[in-house]
Amino acid sequence: MSFAARAWAVCAKDATEELRSRVATLAVLFFAATALALTAYSIGPFGLAEEDRPPLQAALFWIILFFAAATGLPRAFVREEETGTALALRKTLPGSLVLAGKALFNFGLFLAIAAVVVPGFLLLLDWKVTAPAALAAVVLFGGYGLSVVSTFLSALTARAGQRNVLFVLVAFPLVLPLLLTAISGTLAATRGADAWTPLRVLIAYDGAASCAAYLLAEAAWED
Amino acid sequence: MKALKLFLLPYLAAVVAAAFLWPEPAEGFIGQSSRIVFFHVPCAWTSTLAFLVAAAYSLAYLLRRNPWHDEIACAAVKLGLFFGILTLITGSLFASIMWGTWWNWDPRESSYLLLVFLYAAYLFLRAAIDDPARKARIAAVYALFAAVLMPFLVFVAPRVTASLHPQTVINPQGKILMDTPTRAVFFGALAGFSGLFLWMLSLEARTARLRRLGRRA
Repeated sequence: MSFAARAWAVCAKDATEELRSRVATLAVLFFAATALALTAYSIGPFGLAEEDRPPLQAALFWIILFFAAATGLPRAFVREEETGTALALRKTLPGSLVLAGKALFNFGLFLAIAAVVVPGFLLLLDWKVTAPAALAAVVLFGGYGLSVVSTFLSALTARAGQRNVLFVLVAFPLVLPLLLTAISGTLAATRGADAWTPLRVLIAYDGAASCAAYLLAEAAWED
Repeated sequence: MKALKLFLLPYLAAVVAAAFLWPEPAEGFIGQSSRIVFFHVPCAWTSTLAFLVAAAYSLAYLLRRNPWHDEIACAAVKLGLFFGILTLITGSLFASIMWGTWWNWDPRESSYLLLVFLYAAYLFLRAAIDDPARKARIAAVYALFAAVLMPFLVFVAPRVTASLHPQTVINPQGKILMDTPTRAVFFGALAGFSGLFLWMLSLEARTARLRRLGRRA
């Protein structure tokens, strides 16, 4: 089997497990919906002056996406440790492949969150997006980077004490350049300005994070 | 290292004296505030150097699994944080004089604060793992991963948005915007702070090794 086929098999295994319990999906989507409802309730479509809306909405959009993702994405490797399947996975597959499969699953989970948050913002907050294609690209590249970094850090913190708190402490400074750039790109997409500069930065970040995670996966995942 | 220590004392004293006495204050800055460049930028440089040294020794640890390399990497991160905090304090002093506020969330200021958080997380990660070998391995992996993403925090993200920060050293023109005396003292300070870092690194790493050997005995 090729690398891609085996990574897809790991992703399918995680998806099957998740479909049985639906713990991560429900927790993540519930968090996203609650945060969205809270935002809509407190500022609504008319709670802000028209000129103040775009930067605040762009920042809130990514804050909700990040924290919703942070409730589900770190579970990638923690679940294997809790169910006692980590050793079997370690013995049968290389770390880089496990990481790729789990990052793929996490990316799917991120897209599910985005599928709730984006329409929610459009309907509840009267979010005006001038360049939808640019926004889609920012969400895709931002979400990919967030998934790769979260999956990698999940492998590092899976066996540490206080791992939930530790994950946020470790992840936040690492993903902040990505979040700042994604907010900048989202703002450009809503205003119809040039989103290519933040997109290029996001693509570079994604490439650097993917390469580093791939090269370090064996050391991160070994027993 | 003893020779370095004996050399550094008069050398750094001379750099400090020159920083206050030789170059004229730069134009466009309030009063003597431009002299902070002789301390603020070398602190930032030394902090970045320390994190790069930590990454290099982390790689060495992953290749050789020698605890001495992990001790050097950990010592370098601690010193990088020390110089990083000094960078924030000196930057804040400058901001209070130039912009009338100690902290104004300028992108360059904020990115440096986040860099400090990034490496503080390295120490949290170490503290959360009990087994020494696993602690060293996970810390080394994190230090290398952080080193790859660090340029986005320090060099890229702050430049995506507008900044008030002076661009005398790293700027789009690719030139160091300083006169000759300022440049001489500035590079003298960079060399002096780098030497100070090497001396402190040697002390900190040797202390960590003694602690490890003491635990084993």
